[in-house]
Amino acid sequence: MVEERRWIAPADFAEVLALCQFLPGPNVGNVSVVLGRRWFGALGSVVAFAGLMALPLVWVFALALLYADFAVYPAVRAVVTGVGIAGGGLFIGTAFKLARPLLQKPWGLALAVSCFGVIAIGRVSLFVVLPMAALLGWFGARRNLI
Amino acid sequence: MLQLAFYFALLSLVSVGGIPSVMPEMQRLVVDVEGWMTAAEYTQLFAIAQAAPGPNVLVTALIGWKIAGFAGGLVALGAFCGPAGALAYSIGGLWDRMRDAPWRKVFQRALVPISAGFIVSGGFVLATPQGLIWQSALIAGASAAVLVATKVNPLWILASGGVLGYFLF
Repeated sequence: MVEERRWIAPADFAEVLALCQFLPGPNVGNVSVVLGRRWFGALGSVVAFAGLMALPLVWVFALALLYADFAVYPAVRAVVTGVGIAGGGLFIGTAFKLARPLLQKPWGLALAVSCFGVIAIGRVSLFVVLPMAALLGWFGARRNLI
Repeated sequence: MLQLAFYFALLSLVSVGGIPSVMPEMQRLVVDVEGWMTAAEYTQLFAIAQAAPGPNVLVTALIGWKIAGFAGGLVALGAFCGPAGALAYSIGGLWDRMRDAPWRKVFQRALVPISAGFIVSGGFVLATPQGLIWQSALIAGASAAVLVATKVNPLWILASGGVLGYFLF
């Protein structure tokens, strides 16, 4: 959209993406909703979202059906489990990249580590953790600790 | 199916940082609370969504599909995207107007450590379907390290994880 069709300026696109990364929900899904609205209103949002998801949805279901047929073989399960674990590792790597600026901000680092401890190790519900973490984060950011 | 839609709609509104952030809570509800599938099956569905082309939010459709068939898949995807989409829809204009407001900067800074903590948790939960065993730690640790240290296409990292999984499990 930016490079081929020139429907939107690069800076503007980056701005929309930044918004959607900080809103809850899938990033690309939200981008489609915001841009669809800007150009064509509510209907635009729905069409943009459906257009974005339709083909990948077919792909992912096809792959899942294929896997369902082969899941009886332990070797296939082992490979797919390995892929899933590697995907988990990618999330961990992404989070480390995101957290790199926090190395100079002990308060922010402590908040990130506490979130991990409480959710991943303590298995506390996100619905409990998010409000508390948001309060601490807001407090920390206001005082320039993050 | 109603229960599924309700859970995913709620998760939609707390998915700060996207899909990775809600993976622990989604797994807790689907595996621990409801017993709809095992932790291993959950990680395998996630693997399929990662390997397929398209946004990783499609894992919600696979989880719904596993629980309640194709209709369940569509309901799960819709329930997860709908509330957050409505929020993005209504806030898009406001955000543009507040471009230089100081609270926006504070808000963005506050969310960095929270997202980072949530996303690490998502990775940890997905990478430990059989508990914290050395095979999983090796695959996940190596994948994370390669992602941080190099510019390799993540698909190669996933493929290597599959090869390691074949030999280790």
